[in-house]
Amino acid sequence: MPQSLPFGVSCKGGLNTNLNQFEMLSNPGLATKLENFEVDSDGGYRRINGFEPFGGGDAARPNSTNAILGLFVYADGLIACSGTNIYFTLEGETWLQINRASVAGGGDDYSAFTGRSALARTNQNQCNFAFYEGDTQYGELLITDEASATKPFYFKMTGTGALGNRTYFAKEVTVSGTVYPIVGVIHDKHYVVSGDSNNPNTIYYSGTNDIDDFTSTGSGNIKLDDKVIGLKSFRDDLIIFCKNSIYKLVNINTSSTIAVVPVTKNVGCLDNHSIQEIAGDLVFLSPDGVRTIAGTARIGDVELGTVSRQIVSITETIANGIDSYVVATVVLRQKSQYRLFYTISGAGSSQAKGLIGSITSQGFQWSETKGIQATAITSGFNSNGIEKTYHGDDDGYVYIHNSGSVFYHEGAAASMRATYETPNYDFGDFGTRKNINYVKISITPEGTSQPVLRVRYNYADTDFPQPDDYTLLSVPLPAIFGESLFGTGVFGASNDPMVRQAVQGGGHTTNFRLRTEDSNPPYSINGMYIDYTPSNRR
Amino acid sequence: MATTYQQLCNEILREVNEVELTSATFASSVGIQTHVKDIVNRAYLDIVNEEPQWPFLSTAESGATDPMYGNTYIETVAGTRWYELKPASSSILGDYGYIDWDNFYLTTVGVSGESAPYTARNLRHTTIEEWKDYFRISENLDDADSQSYGVPGRVVRSPDARNFGLSPIPDQVYRIWFFAFNQPTKLDLYADTVVFPDLYVPVLISKARYYIHQFNDNAQGSAFALEDYKRNLKNMKLHLMEPDPGYFKDDRIIFV
Repeated sequence: MPQSLPFGVSCKGGLNTNLNQFEMLSNPGLATKLENFEVDSDGGYRRINGFEPFGGGDAARPNSTNAILGLFVYADGLIACSGTNIYFTLEGETWLQINRASVAGGGDDYSAFTGRSALARTNQNQCNFAFYEGDTQYGELLITDEASATKPFYFKMTGTGALGNRTYFAKEVTVSGTVYPIVGVIHDKHYVVSGDSNNPNTIYYSGTNDIDDFTSTGSGNIKLDDKVIGLKSFRDDLIIFCKNSIYKLVNINTSSTIAVVPVTKNVGCLDNHSIQEIAGDLVFLSPDGVRTIAGTARIGDVELGTVSRQIVSITETIANGIDSYVVATVVLRQKSQYRLFYTISGAGSSQAKGLIGSITSQGFQWSETKGIQATAITSGFNSNGIEKTYHGDDDGYVYIHNSGSVFYHEGAAASMRATYETPNYDFGDFGTRKNINYVKISITPEGTSQPVLRVRYNYADTDFPQPDDYTLLSVPLPAIFGESLFGTGVFGASNDPMVRQAVQGGGHTTNFRLRTEDSNPPYSINGMYIDYTPSNRR
Repeated sequence: MATTYQQLCNEILREVNEVELTSATFASSVGIQTHVKDIVNRAYLDIVNEEPQWPFLSTAESGATDPMYGNTYIETVAGTRWYELKPASSSILGDYGYIDWDNFYLTTVGVSGESAPYTARNLRHTTIEEWKDYFRISENLDDADSQSYGVPGRVVRSPDARNFGLSPIPDQVYRIWFFAFNQPTKLDLYADTVVFPDLYVPVLISKARYYIHQFNDNAQGSAFALEDYKRNLKNMKLHLMEPDPGYFKDDRIIFV
């Protein structure tokens, strides 16, 4: 009589769309589909949080249905670019338009500021923000946008309390005549810009400690031989991401030794919004995937590396359609995550996709998102030192990112569909038909959850019987003394319960899919225990 | 209500923890489900082959016509020797599965225009060789000459098994009664039912288990199932084929 055998899987490795099915067998913890999950730094795959309107029930859009083009955590609030305007809010309920003309050099009080005429940001497109901490209360902000139709916009605010008690500074910064840069960054006491449509391969840098003056001491410009896509200050260097190459600007404060040094002439950057610094590396989207520029201890020694090999088919799709996508990225520091969202402007928000790269001891591990439309996203520390993350969508809504358990599409709450799918396991012997008896799934609930299990045999071949989906027993939230509220947790429930589900059928290979589509709190899938019986070798 | 084909298949599928069939998926079954459908039919035919005279295969209820002579009859025609056992059948595929050749009966009871006193007799089964050697020539000569014919006293099975012949050739209309048993019909649709009572479903299940465990290379499970099948089949035969009470008659004469 054949004896049943065990097979254990620990969920680790993240999404892999690259390896073939046989290679996958040596990494059973990988996922062939990992949508709206994130690789948990503590192990397992965690369903992501949702997002919720910034402002709660009284949330208002900054500029009606105009898409959000840029967001930045500034002072004790948030700056949003939308339509041809720029707005500031403290709580997401009321938005103060801050793109004002003729603001006094010494600053306007609230009354004077709101009485100024609008300084229209003509044809405003996706925006870039450069923040200069300086010695002011909240720092200074410079905004460029990718339409290359306006000069950089300078904004500063001082004062506390209600907006009516604060002082506002705003103006346009002239780089050089009608130079309208699209990217800008603060680097070593200079404001560096580039991307003007008429001078796409020239970088301009302001005077030293004079970020709004490109004529004062220390200012200048350098012409490169490639079109500049993005700029990022990284340690002592300014990394210049071009279309087909990458350079670094060194010694910006020493006119005799300032130089542009090539990093590579083989790899370029696809979108400046993909550039982020995470865990001591710069990551960016290149034609062959997400790459890092890892600075080493030795000055000038630069290493290039791809970190998205596991999901190359997805990054290829993004690269091939980069001109049609609106790309927005953010780093969630507490999660050690790099999140990249890509959406087609005007497309439904439920179809918008994204990537989540989590840094683990094995490097980047990936998952996908679907249903988060982020035409702009930001994460930063406010004046109270609290990390805030927001994103805005194509319909003009601003949301608190990574919060709650639901999505919002076109402003209405929508359940979140999360899917984890395993490789096709052969349990060590592809030739033997295996009958699956039951599966035990280790789940860490953060509230009551009830995933649905799907089992597919022989690569989901329709010529083999495939069972119906199994709705797992509801996984309760364990009650923890001192924390749980009456009625919300179950006394005696395990922190990491193993949910047993008897299943039917068998085949040479078996794969499992766990899916939820609800508004329940997140949960983590830690691993699975599978009991199977080898049957025959037909 | 008799057990359906779907229920039988699902019992086997459950035994080996496979995906069950529904009325919606039954016709489009794939893989092992189709195999289980096959082996249920195979087990069904195995049971039938064990005993072709299972009561549940009888063509009709014997005794439906009083008096009870058989479950099927054919009326003769004066001067005609050979008759198809099942006139409605065009080939052996549609013929009866089994004929009790030792139980043919001739009578004029029920024949139109006949009244008492009736003619009645058992027809003795005669092999075709015996009939050929001893009766055929004289009967053929009579047929070709005086055509006096006679009351048949023998029944002959044609070599193709599709006809029976009467010897002598009938001189008038008679009813020839006999016991016939249908061929089993393979189960096909999900709602098709087996023709025997649920009491005997375990016999079929045992044999189907024997096959499915063979499929799964489970020799031990297969052997157990075969043992179950044999025991259950023995009981089934005992109940359905040999239910008559057993008598012992001692006819020795003791002179005292």
